[in-house]
Amino acid sequence: MGALSIRDVRKSFGTTDILKGINIDIEAGEFLILVGPSGCGKSTLLSLIAGLESITSGEIHIGGKLVNNLSPKDRDIAMVFQSYALYPTMSVRQNIAFGLEMRKVPKAERDATVARVAQILQIEPLLDRKPAQLSGGQRQRVAMGRAIARNPTLFLFDEPLSNLDAKLRVEMRTEIKLLHQRLGTTIVYVTHDQIEAMTLGDKIAVMKAGELMQFGTPQEIYDQPVNMFVAGFMGSPPMNFIPCTVQQQSNDYGVELETHGQRYFLTLIGGEKLKSSLGRDVILGLRPEKISHPGEAHQASHIATRLRTKVEILEPTGADTLVVVIVNGKKIVCRVHPKFAKAPGESIELGIDSSNSVVFDPSSEARIV
Amino acid sequence: MSATTAPGTNRVARWFVYAVLLLACLYYLLPLFVMLSTSLKSLDEIRAGNLLSLPKSLNFDAWAKAWGTACTGVQCEGLKGYLWNSIRFTIPAIFISTLMGAITGYVLAWWRFKGSNVLFGLLLLGCFIPFQVVLLPMARTLGWLGMANTTAGLVLVHVVYGLAFTTLFFRNFYVTVPAELVKAAKIDGASFFQIFGRIILPISIPTITVTIIWQFTQIWNDYLFGVVFSSGEQQPITAGLNNLVNTSTGVKEYNVDMAAAVIAALPTLLVYIVAGKYFIRGMTAGAVKG
Repeated sequence: MGALSIRDVRKSFGTTDILKGINIDIEAGEFLILVGPSGCGKSTLLSLIAGLESITSGEIHIGGKLVNNLSPKDRDIAMVFQSYALYPTMSVRQNIAFGLEMRKVPKAERDATVARVAQILQIEPLLDRKPAQLSGGQRQRVAMGRAIARNPTLFLFDEPLSNLDAKLRVEMRTEIKLLHQRLGTTIVYVTHDQIEAMTLGDKIAVMKAGELMQFGTPQEIYDQPVNMFVAGFMGSPPMNFIPCTVQQQSNDYGVELETHGQRYFLTLIGGEKLKSSLGRDVILGLRPEKISHPGEAHQASHIATRLRTKVEILEPTGADTLVVVIVNGKKIVCRVHPKFAKAPGESIELGIDSSNSVVFDPSSEARIV
Repeated sequence: MSATTAPGTNRVARWFVYAVLLLACLYYLLPLFVMLSTSLKSLDEIRAGNLLSLPKSLNFDAWAKAWGTACTGVQCEGLKGYLWNSIRFTIPAIFISTLMGAITGYVLAWWRFKGSNVLFGLLLLGCFIPFQVVLLPMARTLGWLGMANTTAGLVLVHVVYGLAFTTLFFRNFYVTVPAELVKAAKIDGASFFQIFGRIILPISIPTITVTIIWQFTQIWNDYLFGVVFSSGEQQPITAGLNNLVNTSTGVKEYNVDMAAAVIAALPTLLVYIVAGKYFIRGMTAGAVKG
């Protein structure tokens, strides 16, 4: 059995269902991300794992042990909070040692642990300061130190980086990842930031309105989203959704794209599965990086096409330039190399690679191909 | 003040504010001045002179008399015994009511049990009950408990009456404390009372100060409960002052009356001077999250 096992967990407040049957299993040492928009129930799920709230039905196992009826202190967990929740009247040293003190760890051992943790997080010079005398990033470190000191089976992080400014957030993100690699601990990490989710997670659980939409590795979630919600939520800029109709051209199945009066046929991989949908309206999902300046691949490949259109808006990001064009009456974001970008109003040639494209049912929003 | 106002009008407005404040200060300080200067005058000087005139020389006889020999009814031992009485019940009453208020406020803020809001509402109602209303029931209760006319009984009365206020103070502070602080302590393994003692109470110092000042003023200045629930030897200083002023043996000794009144008011004044700094600091330094 794994480090954390969540089985058909439900949570209701009165008649309102907050969580509608969640199933997640992770192995020891894995980094699990719970991601989703506000109100999807991800923080509630974390509270249930921590034991800060009781579950309505289902089972939660930590390290192979059923913890449904255990209080937070008996679950062998540590938690890092969004507001850090450092004890304001205690020094950094006392903050880190508090959990050990409550567990009646002898003074000498506590001191040794504080020293070790301070060394790992490089906060030795701060040990005698009060939380109010620390910067945001330092508080974040102390909060992590408090969690590490206890050496628990499971670490819980509740949006720990959302109070930091953008630059520091990226730095701390790297540090958390490094820490995870060094300590090899099991982590459950809640965030609404899909970039954090992609960069940190071994496994990602995408949630929406109390339901688990998809559970898998970051690459699976990115390449094979199960529905339009997951596809649109993960990735920045988000996946393009192009309304089109399934068509057949000789032996190939694909869709027709129209831009500025020109029509193009885009062959799709796995088109056989589209056979039954022939003539039906579908939504084609294409990542921005799959619509780019034409390269060699677009000439040779069978599953690529070139089209000529007009630039509507230009958004340079430095490394790439995002070009907005209109296809099938919808604004589409394409990612091109800056030197191929054209000014708004000018004509541009784009290559579409449909090798990683996905097709959704417009009414159920579930994936077809 | 808006930035668009011309500097000239701004200055006029500011002087106006100062003038109003100065007037208010005078209005409040004048009685104190009259009391102090009168207490230092001799009786002859009081009769001959003007109410606002300064004493010719510093004469502390009236203070000595008010403290040690003035008559308060049949015995003539001044206020010193009463002062001690007041201290004896005020200090325990303040500390018990403040500590209990902190605990009940903590529970009401963090423990959403069924009917907790109703209970809080009723408690608020407790703040509006006049002293007179509780006199009779309280007398019966103290009688049943065998605590009538005892210092402990008076402490109980003040604790019960003050609890509504102290709970309100603490509860309103604790609802502003981030819930994550308590959650973090729970996960760290602290028990209910460990969380209260180690985390919550230390961040409550400003509220504790405010509550102590409030309770001290209320209890020390109380006359009604003191007169009703204690007698003779145990009576508080407010009762002693009343007795002193109303015991007439011919001449009305205004200088002694004034000195006695200042002695009775001095501890309250002292608390404000000593704790006032923390009072203001407490009002501004509420930010825990930073």
